[in-house]
Amino acid sequence: MALQLAVEPRHTRGKRNNLRLRRAGKIPAILYGHGLECVSLSVETDTLAAAIHHGSRLVSLTGAVDESAFIRDLQWDTWGTNIIHVDFTRISEHEIVEIRLPIELRGESPGVREGGVVLQLVHEVEIACPASAIPEKLAVNINHLKLNDSVSLGDLELPQGAKLLASDLEMVAVECVVPQEQLEEEAAEAVPGEPEIIGEKEKEEDGAKE
Amino acid sequence: MALMPKRVKHRKSQRGRIKGNASRGNRVVFGDYGLQSMQGGWISAQTIEAGRIAAQQYLRSEGRLYIRVFPHKPITSIPLETRMGKGKGEPEYWAAVVRPGTVLYEIGGISEEAARLCFTRLAHKMPVKVRFLRRRPI
Repeated sequence: MALQLAVEPRHTRGKRNNLRLRRAGKIPAILYGHGLECVSLSVETDTLAAAIHHGSRLVSLTGAVDESAFIRDLQWDTWGTNIIHVDFTRISEHEIVEIRLPIELRGESPGVREGGVVLQLVHEVEIACPASAIPEKLAVNINHLKLNDSVSLGDLELPQGAKLLASDLEMVAVECVVPQEQLEEEAAEAVPGEPEIIGEKEKEEDGAKE
Repeated sequence: MALMPKRVKHRKSQRGRIKGNASRGNRVVFGDYGLQSMQGGWISAQTIEAGRIAAQQYLRSEGRLYIRVFPHKPITSIPLETRMGKGKGEPEYWAAVVRPGTVLYEIGGISEEAARLCFTRLAHKMPVKVRFLRRRPI
């Protein structure tokens, strides 16, 4: 069941008004989609933040509008702590939506006991699934991940009716590898001296010809 | 060896000003946790390297460290006891220009407590105030 979010109509626009709104504990929002009119709204900061941290993407808006909506986009402040704006799109239950989901590792890899390190190389994947069955996250069980084993995007278990939108299904999402010392590698990469100046060689060659 | 560009267009650059907060490079992308700068400033290649070594010594090949800034800017200086004038000084070192909010380092593959401890050690090397950052939920 979708989480309920109480929204209020927003008649004011602009930077200053939105700043005042945020100070009052609300977040400016907008609702659009399905070829209908855009509606400017405001939503309580605490309830929205709770929904976001819970992982809910599908919400049912109550108050100014009574519709189910999908949290399409969030704008965060520079520090990544406060939400400053929300985009809601109108959605019907059987509509297919494209959504980026976080990947969560579950369990303990036996490879770690053998001295390996589990590295998560892909943190989010884009899937298309019905709006009624949007999962909070994609869980990857690493209980069988041995040393030098990997889980590719194609191996991910998707919810029913969902389709992975990644172009490369062979891409490694999680791997258990022997840890490598990065110190020596990176030291070898760095080149001492001054960097090459683009265009200087050509100038010198031109000068020599003349 | 400290980081520096392989090829550049110009040997020297003007100082410039750091205006506003970071609007990109301000979220955790590669790892699970990040170290975010709270102030603007220049971070020299040597400092970035010192931070990397401090973190790497703690990590001991566990997890993975990502450096999110690169020293693109050549910083010049005039030698001591030199009279004013006679042109701009010679490049001394390379620095990364950092705006408030920029993520400097990221760590993945370790627990949050371990990442916090690692970043605490690393933070001592930084010339700017920093804070611990988690990945955004959406």
